Amino acid sequence: MAYSDKVVEHYNNPRNVGSLDKNDPNVGTGLVGAPECGDVMKLQMKVNPQTQVIEEAKFKTFGCGSAIASSSLATEWVKGKTVEEALTIKNTDIVKELSLPPVKIHCSVLAEDAIKAALNDWKKKQGSDATAEQPAAAAQQ
Amino acid sequence: MTTVPIATEAFCWSCHAPHVGGHFCAACGKIQPLPRGADYFAFFGLPQKLWIDCAQLEQLFHQLSWKLHPDNFVCASEYERELSLERSSQLNDAYRALRDPIARVEYLLASGGMREEGAARQQAPPELLEEVFELNESLDDLRTARSRSLGTDGGKTAALKQRLEAEEKKFEAKLGEVDEELKRIAGEWDAALDAGADEAKRKALMARMNDVLNRRRYIRNLVANVQKELAEA
Repeated sequence: MAYSDKVVEHYNNPRNVGSLDKNDPNVGTGLVGAPECGDVMKLQMKVNPQTQVIEEAKFKTFGCGSAIASSSLATEWVKGKTVEEALTIKNTDIVKELSLPPVKIHCSVLAEDAIKAALNDWKKKQGSDATAEQPAAAAQQ
Repeated sequence: MTTVPIATEAFCWSCHAPHVGGHFCAACGKIQPLPRGADYFAFFGLPQKLWIDCAQLEQLFHQLSWKLHPDNFVCASEYERELSLERSSQLNDAYRALRDPIARVEYLLASGGMREEGAARQQAPPELLEEVFELNESLDDLRTARSRSLGTDGGKTAALKQRLEAEEKKFEAKLGEVDEELKRIAGEWDAALDAGADEAKRKALMARMNDVLNRRRYIRNLVANVQKELAEA
């Protein structure tokens, strides 16, 4: 099966490979995997707490070319977006951009899951910083 | 039977006697076409249980191969030759699927619609991912070290190799645990069938087996990868 030019391009020149400090309260980490092919994908994003803008994104993926291209593209797309905007990215957008064939759609699903997982992790971290306020809010209900 | 059978396979194609299943017509002995949606267990006349006596299965396989073999039909009609071929190839598929305990579970789940793409989202278990990621990183380190130094790095590759070997052992042990777990649930499945469990109960057991199979495949791929790398190192 032939990969599309865009997949090959991302595969040969992956953007934003690397990692961020996962203990940083402003960094969200998403780790997802697909058992059918054994792929694992780690996506990390650093969010500016004031503006909610994703300032940095890094990934490391062990898997096929499509999985690498999907996560590389995902980091490119989320950078500069707000958290809410990033959460609207759909796997079908990635499929379209990279012209992924049907057998590789799960790679794009993985990338979408990784974005969501990373931002959930970030939200959880933000929430735990604000735990002091939560009991009061719960008491009002 | 009170309903009028629509499917033609309810009657022998040759003598039109009622046909309730089996490879041959009970009345005239002619070979019968495969019913639609026939399952491999039924092909051998077995219940859909996961514990199978392999010696018995092998014996059934040999008996059936002998009875269904196209050589027995060289003088028969073209239709019967076709049926013999069809049943013989089904026999081989069925035997391959049922003889291996893992393939047997996979087959059972597939026939229950559990293994289709998108039927149940195939997610990797989160507790495994961290370890999987680290193992992959070690593999990567080993590859890099090897391509840079070609073995002249004074023990660095050797140390990496050792670490990987230790990790590989760990994952092989995990594979053993997963197999044990699958065996346990398979036992529950057989007991549930004996007890006449309803659809919901059966589906729940299938879902549990599906989870274990996913985990198993993930670990097995990893172990295979590591073994390949180690062999080349």
